[in-house]
Amino acid sequence: MATKTANAAPALSFPRPIFAALSPHPFLQAHLSSQGQAKPPRANGRTAADFRTPSIKTGALTHCHGSAVVRVGGTSVVCGVRGEILRGEDVQTADVEVSAGNGEGDDTAEISGLRLLVPNVELSTGSTPLHIPGNAPSGYAQTLVTRLRSLLLSTRLIRARDLRILYTPPGVADEMEEEDSVPEVEIKGYWVLYIDTVFISLDGNALDAAWIAILAALASTRLPKAYFDEELEIVVCSDTPSEAQKLELRGLPIPSTFAVFEGQFEQEGEEYDGEESWVLNDPDAFEESVCREMVCVVVDGSEGMNKMAVKRIEKSGGGVVGKDIMKVLVKRSAERWQIVQGVLKEVE
Amino acid sequence: MAPEASLSHLHRADGSATYIHNGYCIIGAVNGPIEVMRRDEMPEEATIEVNVRPAAGVGSPKERHLETLLHSTLRSIILTRNIPRTLVQITLQVRSLPEEDGTSGVNTSLTLLPHLLNTALLALLSASIPLRTILTSLLIALPTPTPKMKQPVPILSPTSTELFRTQPIASLHVFAFSADRKLLLSESEGTFKYAEWEEAYEMAEEVCCRDQGGVGLGGGEGMEVDGEEASANLEEWLRGVVRRKVEVEQRWRSAT
Repeated sequence: MATKTANAAPALSFPRPIFAALSPHPFLQAHLSSQGQAKPPRANGRTAADFRTPSIKTGALTHCHGSAVVRVGGTSVVCGVRGEILRGEDVQTADVEVSAGNGEGDDTAEISGLRLLVPNVELSTGSTPLHIPGNAPSGYAQTLVTRLRSLLLSTRLIRARDLRILYTPPGVADEMEEEDSVPEVEIKGYWVLYIDTVFISLDGNALDAAWIAILAALASTRLPKAYFDEELEIVVCSDTPSEAQKLELRGLPIPSTFAVFEGQFEQEGEEYDGEESWVLNDPDAFEESVCREMVCVVVDGSEGMNKMAVKRIEKSGGGVVGKDIMKVLVKRSAERWQIVQGVLKEVE
Repeated sequence: MAPEASLSHLHRADGSATYIHNGYCIIGAVNGPIEVMRRDEMPEEATIEVNVRPAAGVGSPKERHLETLLHSTLRSIILTRNIPRTLVQITLQVRSLPEEDGTSGVNTSLTLLPHLLNTALLALLSASIPLRTILTSLLIALPTPTPKMKQPVPILSPTSTELFRTQPIASLHVFAFSADRKLLLSESEGTFKYAEWEEAYEMAEEVCCRDQGGVGLGGGEGMEVDGEEASANLEEWLRGVVRRKVEVEQRWRSAT
């Protein structure tokens, strides 16, 4: 009997994966509060303020107008951009024709009103055990699409000018001269961009990976030259690759996601301990499942590092991050922006 | 303009509230704690389900996004560990939107979000779900600087007419604060600097949370005298709504 207990005693200490699966919260807390190190690592070996550096490859899909594959740690995403033509007859273009000439006007209404950008996210590919393949898009996937779409619109990333298909009627020299007031340029159609993002594997931080993939895919997009053919009276595309046009993107907004880990859940309705919390950059799937409070900061430093503009702040799920921590997070996002911008530059 | 609210007016739901502010009218109903489906049951805490129904049509991904935000915010204030293995179901029906809602050129889910949060909290209070704290939520709009006005004045809980008139809006911010002045939710969109966000944060905090100096006994007395007047502060407004409801329920006592 005595020998038996002696044999059983070592089995009480679990190997790492079993500890993590059985009690994820104490597991992560044990990592973060480990003494003796200046910067205690998380369970995945990174320190709290470490991001994963993305790796990007563009032009991976041949049937799209632009595409990119992005890997951020264990998260890999494929994004394809495909343009389709929306015929001018099918939409009411009367009210937007005024802004047709200049490219710098406020064109958000045009893009969102005509729904010229159609992002979609596919998570049910077996990318993560939480999303079973073959099911309808989960609430999480729908939330992700909504966030991506509103980010595309609110950052005004794409110019409506690039999507318009214009036609200048040939000036019949003498007879038309009196009728100068007639608008010379007509909008004959629009490019609608279908931006499909497919997750191959998901290890946390879906938004950052999807957005970087969308940025890289849009930057590599070449739309064929589309023009209105007077004889056929339809919009046709040119076959010549050299005539294809790039999209001119406005700025370079980059999101950074943070998860807030609250050490020790409150007992019997007590206040949680504000000191015992860590802000983890770029959480992986395990950390996302343990953390409740999420922060996402989108910054754009393309107008110079000292003019770093914040494009979006999203935070919900808890009360740890106040204005002081947010200031640190905006700073961390600005540092991340430089790294990601460098990676994106290399690909172009 | 203070919001209007009436509590517990639906008799079949455990708790309910109607909230009317700036042309937004939302009905909230809460059922709970009730039995939870086996699939969603959690051994140590309550499951929270939020349903948002739009004014017209069926729910879209936009409503799913709002539901996710409400879910994570409400989960942090409901004492879910006190009622384990149960379900708290929150249904929010948007009854009417202001007419200019779609035309003000801003993200309509941000303008709706603070109203949904406030309604959900009132309905939870009406259903007597155990809460850790209360929350108050607010929208702030920062207009774009013009040559005439270099430092535009932020607009606190703007009506959609105001948003329409002050186009273009540089940034929109939604804040939700708990009673102990913690930031529970922040959704900001547009182009802004951190300093502007902080300024908006402080303004929102001022309106959402009541003055900490007045929490003592004297403050409590003064509030009752002020009654409707104190409604500029959202937390005092909320306390006023609940106090009036309790007073109505205690009529039988005070009449004697």
